[in-house]
Amino acid sequence: MNLPDYAFLSAPLWLVTLLHWVTLSIHFICMNFLVGGIIIVLFGGFDDRWNNPTVMKFVKLFPSAMAATVSFGVAPLLFVQLVYPNQAYSASIVSGWLWLMIVVVLIAAYYFLYGSAFAKESARSRIGIYLSIALLGFVYVSFVYSSVFSLAERPDLYQLLYSGDQSGLVVNPDIGAYIFRWLHMIVGAITVGAFFVGWLGRDDEVAFRVGKRFFFWGMIVSMLLGLVYLFTLGEYLAAFMNHPAIWLLLVSFVLSLASLHFFFKKKFLPAGLMVVVSLVSMVIVRHSLRLILLNNFFDPSTIPIRPQWSIFIIFLIMFVVMLALIWYMLKLFFAGAEKKA
Amino acid sequence: MNYPFWDVDIGYGIMMAVIAVPHVFVSHFAIGGGLYLVIAEHLARRRNDLARLDYLQSLTKFFVLVTLVFGAITGVGIWFIIGLLNPAGTEVLIHNFVWGWATEWTFFIVEITAAILYYYGWKKMSAKDHMTLGWIYFGAAWMSLFVINGIIAFMLTPGEWLTTGNFWDGFFNPTFWPALVMRTGICVMLAGLFSLLVASRLKAADFKARTVRYNAVWGIIGLVITLPAFWWYFNAIPMEITETAKEMMAVPMISIGASYWLAAGIGVFLILFGLLIPRSQHTVIALVTMALGLAWFGSFEWFRESVRKPYIITDYMYGNAVELAKADDYREDGYLKHMVFRTGNDGADLFRRSCRSCHQLSGYLPLRPAYDGTDAEFIAGTIRGAHVMRGNMPEFYGTDEEIETLAVYIDSNIDHRHLSEIYGLSGVALGKKIYDIRCGKCHVIGGYNDKSESILGLTDEDYHDLLDMAGDLAEEMPPFTGDDTEREALIEYLKSLGEGGTQ
Repeated sequence: MNLPDYAFLSAPLWLVTLLHWVTLSIHFICMNFLVGGIIIVLFGGFDDRWNNPTVMKFVKLFPSAMAATVSFGVAPLLFVQLVYPNQAYSASIVSGWLWLMIVVVLIAAYYFLYGSAFAKESARSRIGIYLSIALLGFVYVSFVYSSVFSLAERPDLYQLLYSGDQSGLVVNPDIGAYIFRWLHMIVGAITVGAFFVGWLGRDDEVAFRVGKRFFFWGMIVSMLLGLVYLFTLGEYLAAFMNHPAIWLLLVSFVLSLASLHFFFKKKFLPAGLMVVVSLVSMVIVRHSLRLILLNNFFDPSTIPIRPQWSIFIIFLIMFVVMLALIWYMLKLFFAGAEKKA
Repeated sequence: MNYPFWDVDIGYGIMMAVIAVPHVFVSHFAIGGGLYLVIAEHLARRRNDLARLDYLQSLTKFFVLVTLVFGAITGVGIWFIIGLLNPAGTEVLIHNFVWGWATEWTFFIVEITAAILYYYGWKKMSAKDHMTLGWIYFGAAWMSLFVINGIIAFMLTPGEWLTTGNFWDGFFNPTFWPALVMRTGICVMLAGLFSLLVASRLKAADFKARTVRYNAVWGIIGLVITLPAFWWYFNAIPMEITETAKEMMAVPMISIGASYWLAAGIGVFLILFGLLIPRSQHTVIALVTMALGLAWFGSFEWFRESVRKPYIITDYMYGNAVELAKADDYREDGYLKHMVFRTGNDGADLFRRSCRSCHQLSGYLPLRPAYDGTDAEFIAGTIRGAHVMRGNMPEFYGTDEEIETLAVYIDSNIDHRHLSEIYGLSGVALGKKIYDIRCGKCHVIGGYNDKSESILGLTDEDYHDLLDMAGDLAEEMPPFTGDDTEREALIEYLKSLGEGGTQ
């Protein structure tokens, strides 16, 4: 039967990959603000924290950060499923229930964030409880993501796991292969979250001090965890060391350390730019590692390309319109807020 | 056949419905609600109606909490669940429509940003700027529907895409426009019904009456749009699909029948308690009206999903992810050879790939009751003829050996007691049960593929001959493998039909 094929990419692979990097980086920044922010608000050692203006600013911003995290998480997931459908779907099916429960956990966590943001002054003591519950949810989500996506890089393993258990209750058993990756992501979130705490609390001495402490130690610990993760790569480490991505890792390393200098001097623009470039570099390194790990199983460059330029151009136009509209709406909002103030 | 199969102890239809049903309700409300809010705000500001503005502000909070949280995350949930239940079908959609989805994502981001700023902007922004945000929200939300509608409608009516593979042929498919108008009407109706529920809790009598009446008008306008749109939609579906549904499937037609009554019920409630006696609009009445509205919308989605059977993408891929383009390969090699993920139990693997997307052994659309008291030979015969059974099922393209393997697997999971013992029946009643199990899957008396006219009034000997050669009458027909007791009971039942007995 002569029916249309679907095993093709409707844009060049480099373009899809670029869009994946961009959207995943934005997703990570939003997620880091959210998860890192919650951890610092809860464990930052703020005195009388629910009356601290910086803390409460974060509490009010968490629901919007959640919306941004989810919204900007949709696109990279779409691109991953486009290029790596076999790996992404297979790994998530093996862990089906754990994967699906992310949805339930996210809804609950989201409502707890709104619960804390809408908490009346008399009920502020509950904020800590609400945020702790939301944080537990995010820890679950992040762990399942690490488990599933590291499993997706091991086709031999998920095939073996499936042959033994089809219930969808399987956690990636090779915890040693991703526990440091997961911890690196969590501590990395704390580091970037700390940057935002320091930036938004730059006029609040306590907040800046807390931000500085978490930014510095978060940076050091996340770097160490990242290095430990690299050593868990075993046979793939040599391939990685010979891959151009190693230079990006170095760039990321240097920029991260340099950002500390500017952050301590309260020069947030260069510090922030360095953090962003460092984060984007890590996204690219992560992508390169995926290709190395999948090297024996799958090469995305072999997927035939059949561009759909007309709809792609519409997408690009709408992407620009989206950015323009967001800028315009924020302008309207803050102009109005200033006038009313 | 490239993916593992999630063998979850819940029917796939239920799994899908648990996430998709609440999402489609909320997502349509999110669009209609956006239009409702900005128009209502516009009118209230023009009339300087402060009570209405306060009410709208509180409604926005409810709106944001429902749509941004529940609506948005269940939308992500749909991504998750379709990838788990039918990764192959999802792969087809993503590869063909990724830039459609990416475009929809840009609208989604604008929609979310606008909703958040609209909510926080009530007290902070000028009236004009605030309403501008409201319009941007609605525009983005409706455009999001515009795009997604194309992909959803494609699954039922891929149209010219089946021959061209062109994005736009698939997107602007035969049911695109009627489905868009219909869904727009649903959005408006749901906005009216949800806001009616909020208004029913208001205290001030005059204000409540005004608000209830206003909301009821929204519900009625939405309902009025949807009714002709559904007629248009139904007629845009290729006739072979609707005719097959009428002939072979009960569900789509039941859902249409139910939708008439539900629409009438909504209309009566809206006119009576919304327009004529709005002060009597109690929360319970508003809840009933909303439940009717959701049930009506549900019946449309139920129709759309069920009329598409046995396909996930019409004429392209079956619900069990078997691709029509690979039918010849499967006929030649069988399914097992193409399965990337095997468990070591071929029967179970074949069951998962061929049947499990729609049927469980027990539970959702169960097979056990359909086969209890039969045997592997009979089951194998029904697998060969699966595509002619009522219910509209896919053809089994695997080899004869795989049919035997699958039949043995199903047989090992059924009750092998005699049917008379399982159901405690005898005589004509037992014969009717045997007919239902062994014949009724393809020949419904007074219904689908009815052959009773040709077998009425035969002699006992003729009936015995008929049952002896049942397996030879057609390739799709299973042999009669029941014992003498079953045979006698079935003949007794068939004879009773000729005498005007029980159908």
